[in-house]
Amino acid sequence: MIFALGFIWASALVLSALVFRRSGKPGLSTAGKDAISTFRPLVIRLPCALLAAAFLVQVIPVDVVSNSIGRESGIWGIIVAALVGGFFPGGPIVTFPVAAVFQQAGAGVPQLVAMISGWSIFAVNRLLTYEAPIMGWRFAALRNLSCLALPVLAGIGAELLLDFVHGR
Amino acid sequence: MGHATRLRMKFTKTDLVFIGLAVGLGALCYAIAGTIAFLDALSQAGALLLTIVPQLAGGLLIGGLMKQLIGKDRITAVLGAKSGLRGLIIATVAGTLTPGGPFMSFPIVYALWTAGAEAGALVTYIAAWALLGFVKMIVWEVPLMGIEFTWIRFLVCLPLPILAGLLARRLARVRVLGLSSQVDP
Repeated sequence: MIFALGFIWASALVLSALVFRRSGKPGLSTAGKDAISTFRPLVIRLPCALLAAAFLVQVIPVDVVSNSIGRESGIWGIIVAALVGGFFPGGPIVTFPVAAVFQQAGAGVPQLVAMISGWSIFAVNRLLTYEAPIMGWRFAALRNLSCLALPVLAGIGAELLLDFVHGR
Repeated sequence: MGHATRLRMKFTKTDLVFIGLAVGLGALCYAIAGTIAFLDALSQAGALLLTIVPQLAGGLLIGGLMKQLIGKDRITAVLGAKSGLRGLIIATVAGTLTPGGPFMSFPIVYALWTAGAEAGALVTYIAAWALLGFVKMIVWEVPLMGIEFTWIRFLVCLPLPILAGLLARRLARVRVLGLSSQVDP
């Protein structure tokens, strides 16, 4: 956690230097304002999302989660998780707290990889509100068809990687 | 506090949905699991918030800085220029580095698509932005899922956008599907 924090702020520092070298103080202040404007809506939503997720952990039937998408659920768990992820409503502020809940409730890593990848790739509400209206159905169809198998492949990849690392 | 302007805080509909979810699930938790579980959840959420906020703040700053460094023109130039496997690798890197939501990435791709750019690189770019987007990983995935999980997912997803691009090239050539950008006579 400390490592992650250090890494993030070290990256921010390096990028700040790059921005400063290219566009000076105005560049830095634009970047800062951009960050603040993205942060502002989160002030209310993030604590609520985390609270909702924490309450959800207490009431969710843990064995249902660990049976259907647990580490031992294998390829079927990966497929189920990828589907659930693809139909997840909402942006990262909903998806990641809920994924963290599933993690605590005993979901397997390959299954969670498939779920988050499924959401990243398909995100039904992004498809309906941005992708199809902006890109048109032709490109949207091509894009989604080409990506259809990726979340499941990601899950299988994670399964193989973990097996390899743990020497199974 | 005490200033009239401070009190007139604006709640959007989305805010209300989040507040409603927290209150509703809180009541459900209290009713089903009892006081101890409720307080437990409360303290867990508080602790998580405290660990997330410093990371999230840094991540959002990175997002703002990357927008300064990587302009739309730059991405457009890079994506339109190369073809072949090299083009797909470059599209993967461009997608990974593109910060921001769908209103940043989709318009770039739309412009290239209507200009007749090759479908494979565009699909690879979108897939890489969605799967590997660096800023999204820093802001959300590292704080909430942990750095080890994020690494695993990043590694296994790394080759996938190229796979999607290769498939898109194939699909765009199947005339029956009519998925090519050129509407031919």
